[in-house]
Amino acid sequence: MKKFLLFTVVGIVSVFSLLASVHIAGAQRKEDPIVIGVPSSLKLLESAEGYKAIVLAAEEINAKGGVKVGSVHRPLKIEAIDTRDGEPGVPIADAILAIEKLFLEKKPHAVVLGPFRSEVLLAAMDIYAQYKMPSINVAMTPKFVEKYSQNPEKYKYCFRMMDAKYVVGYLTKVMEKINKDFGFTKVYIVVQDVLWSTSIGTGMQGWFQKNKWEVLGYDKYPTGASDFSTTMIKAKQSGAQVILPIFDMSTSGILVQQWGDMKVPALMAGFISPLMGSKAWSTFGDKIEGVINVVFQAGNIPLKKYPPSAKFYKTYTKRWGEQQSGHMPSQCYDSVYALVGAIERAGSLDPDKLVKEIEKTDMVGSIGRIKFQDHQFIFGDDPKTSAIAVVYQWKKGGKRVPVYPESVAEDKITKPSWMK
Amino acid sequence: MIVYGFLNSVILALMALGFSITFGISRVANFAHGGFYILGGILTWFFLQKVGFSYPFAAFFAVLIVGIIGALMYRVLLIRLRGLELSEVIATFAVGIVILELLRSMGFMGYEYRLPVFIDGSVDVFGTYVGLQRIIIVGAGFILLVALHLFVHHTKTGRAFRGVAQEDHTALSVGINPDKISLLSLFSGSMICAFSAVVILPLGTISIDDGYDVLIKALAVCIIGGLESSTGAIVASFIIGYIEVITAMYISSSLTMVVTLATMLTILLVKPSGLFGKSKEIEERV
Repeated sequence: MKKFLLFTVVGIVSVFSLLASVHIAGAQRKEDPIVIGVPSSLKLLESAEGYKAIVLAAEEINAKGGVKVGSVHRPLKIEAIDTRDGEPGVPIADAILAIEKLFLEKKPHAVVLGPFRSEVLLAAMDIYAQYKMPSINVAMTPKFVEKYSQNPEKYKYCFRMMDAKYVVGYLTKVMEKINKDFGFTKVYIVVQDVLWSTSIGTGMQGWFQKNKWEVLGYDKYPTGASDFSTTMIKAKQSGAQVILPIFDMSTSGILVQQWGDMKVPALMAGFISPLMGSKAWSTFGDKIEGVINVVFQAGNIPLKKYPPSAKFYKTYTKRWGEQQSGHMPSQCYDSVYALVGAIERAGSLDPDKLVKEIEKTDMVGSIGRIKFQDHQFIFGDDPKTSAIAVVYQWKKGGKRVPVYPESVAEDKITKPSWMK
Repeated sequence: MIVYGFLNSVILALMALGFSITFGISRVANFAHGGFYILGGILTWFFLQKVGFSYPFAAFFAVLIVGIIGALMYRVLLIRLRGLELSEVIATFAVGIVILELLRSMGFMGYEYRLPVFIDGSVDVFGTYVGLQRIIIVGAGFILLVALHLFVHHTKTGRAFRGVAQEDHTALSVGINPDKISLLSLFSGSMICAFSAVVILPLGTISIDDGYDVLIKALAVCIIGGLESSTGAIVASFIIGYIEVITAMYISSSLTMVVTLATMLTILLVKPSGLFGKSKEIEERV
């Protein structure tokens, strides 16, 4: 009797143990996360905010049950590594090593955000190809599409959000608008002496010359320059009506301050990173009133005429307790959703299947309608048909008022008070 | 151009003065200068925005803390390396990098890290509008120079500074402790560095990377002027300040650093100790 009881108890325990182990194994398989790698220069404001937006998207997706891969729902897991590529003096090879370290140790299924510096992205494209790593990147070099087009089969794993050529496109439209509204035709260009901004500056210079504008000067400042008075003096003396700045260094805020302090009678319209976010008014005060700035992504500014952008703006602010300062969050946020959509359509994490589905992406995002052409987000003038950048003007009281594209514009461009 | 060349020169002089004074007295080339500069700015920001101190108190405590850190660096680290010049340079450079990279890793990045200007607005100076903060920088530079002159020439400690700067062994023979004076020179040099950050940084935002630029600029100024000469540093600031403005005005703004460093090399070819330096000449005479 005792033996019978013993066998019965052992048998029951064994069966339950077996069932439990099968259940646990099943549960683990079901919950194996999809790993998204974020190798970027995370100590830079832009990348740090991009990372936050990626985390936000992953949290939202996980809260809804995760990503459906075939018949299984799997959560997203974000694995980041600081490539430091945006910091001065860090060699490209070091950043690439960091990316490989992430691939080997964390084994991500895809990458979002990617390196900050253009040169590093171009080098990383070969690593993505080697590891068959689908990636949606941010670095803006026009060489990305060029390199992809040279060998689409090899570089099919590489996708990208923003291209410097689109910035030129938006700025030319703004200059046309300024010309139409005020009749201005004299411009002074001032840029940071790095590849992406000089290429935009040179592109704009060509456009001005073709369109009968007079380029009165073209100054380049090394990164870290903190006095722009000579440019302001030359712009004032030459009678410039528009100053076109292209900068992403922190000291470029001084440029705007000197423009205000010296009361240079010219519109300031271009791209200045420190003036990008809504916090810039509290940082720089009313000195930035009148500045016209282009921001690469609609989600940086709550657009009244495009609710998804306002929704993202509010969600990001609520989640992180602060507003965006840079120009990357909403693109990165949309990229996670684009990637997840592709995984669900592919029903697999196989890189080749995934890449084909990313190419077919057609979704409504916070920056407009997301579609790819040559593995690059398509930007245009209407968020219903394409992604959009936004040109806005800082107005009295610290309001950023969209002035271009027309589909989302809320007001006209006005001249600074000392120009009237 | 004349107005902004002058303003630019005063900013350079302020950036370099702390480095020059420290080296002039203790012969310590403080390569942590850039780190101290940014630390001064960040501490002021912290006391102002997070602790709620008034601007003068925030600046005072920041300057004092940086001064204490400079003195501690001498007392704990440099005193063991005295005489090993290369080791001193490497050690101070390491301290500077540790400060800057630690601040970076603590998340001090972003455009909101900014000190407010003391007084907003601009004034017309000889037909050119100039921001009031720049005028304040000129005033601060002038006051600092007068204060330093009075301190060095009319106080006992100041005279001891000069004694050690001239010959530390002789100073020791008359009862001046060179180690104590060197420690004080690191204290005062670091405080001047932080003070310059407090008045200059409101012009822009506080960026960690600027710490490296400030060090390079301070070095260029001090090498041209003569490392041990504060007068040389001031004269060199005006030379570089105007060269930068003239280069930006008539050649290219992207070449300002190149022209500055080329000038430095040219001056060193003619005067190896810098414009007001004597060390090379004395060495050759010996």
